[in-house]
Amino acid sequence: MFPKPIQSAPAPARIAYKAALPVALVLWLLPLIAVALTSVRSAGDITAGNYWGWPTDFHLWENYTAIFENTPIGKYIWNSFRVTIPTVIGAVALSCMTGFALAVYRFRANLLVFFMFVAGNFVPFQILMVPVRDLTLQMGLYNSVTGLALFHIAFQTGFCTLFMRNFIRAMPFELIEAARVEGVSEFRIFWYVVLPLMRPAIAALAVLIFTFIWNDYFWALVLTQGADSQPITAGLYSLNGQWVAAWHLVSAGSIVAALPPVLMFFLMQRHFIAGLTLGAVK
Amino acid sequence: MHPALQGLITIIIGVGGCVGYFWLSNLVLDKVLFPPRGPNAGRNINRANMIRPWLFLFPALAALGLYLAYPVFETLRLSMIERDGVEEHWVWFANYARMAAEPKFIEALRNNFLWLLVVPAASTAFGLLAAQLTDRLRWGNLAKSLIFMPMAISFVGAAVIWKLVYDYRPIDQEQIGVLNAIVVALGGEPQTWLQIPFWNNFFLMVVLIWIQTGFAMVILSAALRGIPEETVEAAIVDGANPFQIFFKIKVPQIRGTIVVVWTTITLVVLKIFDIVFAMTNGQWGTQVLANYMFDKLFRANDWGVGSASAMVIMVLVTPILVWNVVNARREMK
Repeated sequence: MFPKPIQSAPAPARIAYKAALPVALVLWLLPLIAVALTSVRSAGDITAGNYWGWPTDFHLWENYTAIFENTPIGKYIWNSFRVTIPTVIGAVALSCMTGFALAVYRFRANLLVFFMFVAGNFVPFQILMVPVRDLTLQMGLYNSVTGLALFHIAFQTGFCTLFMRNFIRAMPFELIEAARVEGVSEFRIFWYVVLPLMRPAIAALAVLIFTFIWNDYFWALVLTQGADSQPITAGLYSLNGQWVAAWHLVSAGSIVAALPPVLMFFLMQRHFIAGLTLGAVK
Repeated sequence: MHPALQGLITIIIGVGGCVGYFWLSNLVLDKVLFPPRGPNAGRNINRANMIRPWLFLFPALAALGLYLAYPVFETLRLSMIERDGVEEHWVWFANYARMAAEPKFIEALRNNFLWLLVVPAASTAFGLLAAQLTDRLRWGNLAKSLIFMPMAISFVGAAVIWKLVYDYRPIDQEQIGVLNAIVVALGGEPQTWLQIPFWNNFFLMVVLIWIQTGFAMVILSAALRGIPEETVEAAIVDGANPFQIFFKIKVPQIRGTIVVVWTTITLVVLKIFDIVFAMTNGQWGTQVLANYMFDKLFRANDWGVGSASAMVIMVLVTPILVWNVVNARREMK
């Protein structure tokens, strides 16, 4: 690509160039490496001040079981799943329908509704905090996983609808018209023609929403309290406050908390990136 | 696994409800309300088609109306009233005036502007750099995945991780914080990074840059791949050097994407809360608007000023909102 390929540069420059990238990468990941290293150290190492040397012995199993035994972290993670999975399913299901309606039907208010969705997408969530909290309290859903999931579904539907609408818009419209000419009912067009073609969009959106919701902290703080309903992000914060000195446990906890979205990301990387690109560019 | 079963049932009922609503409402519309039969068949089909989109839209509109539209106006109202026990009376802009007189608010406003100046620019620049450097590398995809990984970690998780980076121990002890360990190894003195006035803001910004660079990189690298090869080849033939190729050929062609990335990160920055809340909670001069609002509402119980500061964030977001709506409109035509 370069006019003078790096292969034909003088040897020192070539080596420097090749070495610089991995070094930069290691620096970039240094915080994560430090946390991973700390999470397998023993408490003895931490008090003795052995932070940077080789761990005297590996406490991988001890540290990670300790956080599950001594803290409600298992409960927090379970809550995270209970909030995240229904939200993903609910938001995707709702937005398939709304996206379909906005993309396929021509009606007078179509543009207006579409712009409302675009605008709603940009509303800062802070502005919703007090009324949503009051609303949740009035519905008797405060401090419950259901209340949190319901709000997330409603709030994410805006973004998901835009995403779905743009995706359906890009499909060949002839498919739908052909089905209409054949006399297929509108519901069947949605179910048998459009929905199967939306599979990549659904996968991308599901992965994206999963990480968004899993990593949400603000609403967990506003709508829940205590280990019975709080997700892992809020749990991690309170655990961090409890064990200021026990860095090996805090590190293990933060790794456990990050594991599901990171795993999700590595397993579904293609969908994740497709989702981000579609969501950002369109 | 009783709760798991319960969850499963909830999900089935939820999705079944969605599909069922959809199927039934369409059925009622077509077969009962406006059947395409009899003398009015034509008119009935038209009527059914006018109503149908609203059937699809209704659940989402209801949810958004309740959880999005109503709260926006409610917050606007709250920001202009005073609560006297149960009595509410309108004070109009008194809350805003009270807020503007608070030094912490001014500090939050200043810091938010600093964040706005630094984070989107730095994340986009780093993202562009990473996208360009990993573009033709054999292990480029692996490098990209690793750079992108922080994006999958929550802001709170990142804040906890970076607390370990900035951790401070007295000078006679071994440093556990990564940064202090490096500084000491280089012969310097350990610092309480998060308490250095003014500069601590930048140490917090680093966390967000660390997260958002991956996002910028992914989007920009897709854009770089989309650049027609011929333009670059032509530039090489004309004798352009690599920097000219990058800045004069490639960057102008992906300007649209750069703007999108920039504004997306700007929106994240305007709402930044978790990182500041978890790392300093606005102490030592690091307050930002969202955390200021949270402080007012939950700790000081001052609903008026809290809602007023939420409105300030809304006002700051509005130009981007309008710009996006206008853009979307232009694309339609």
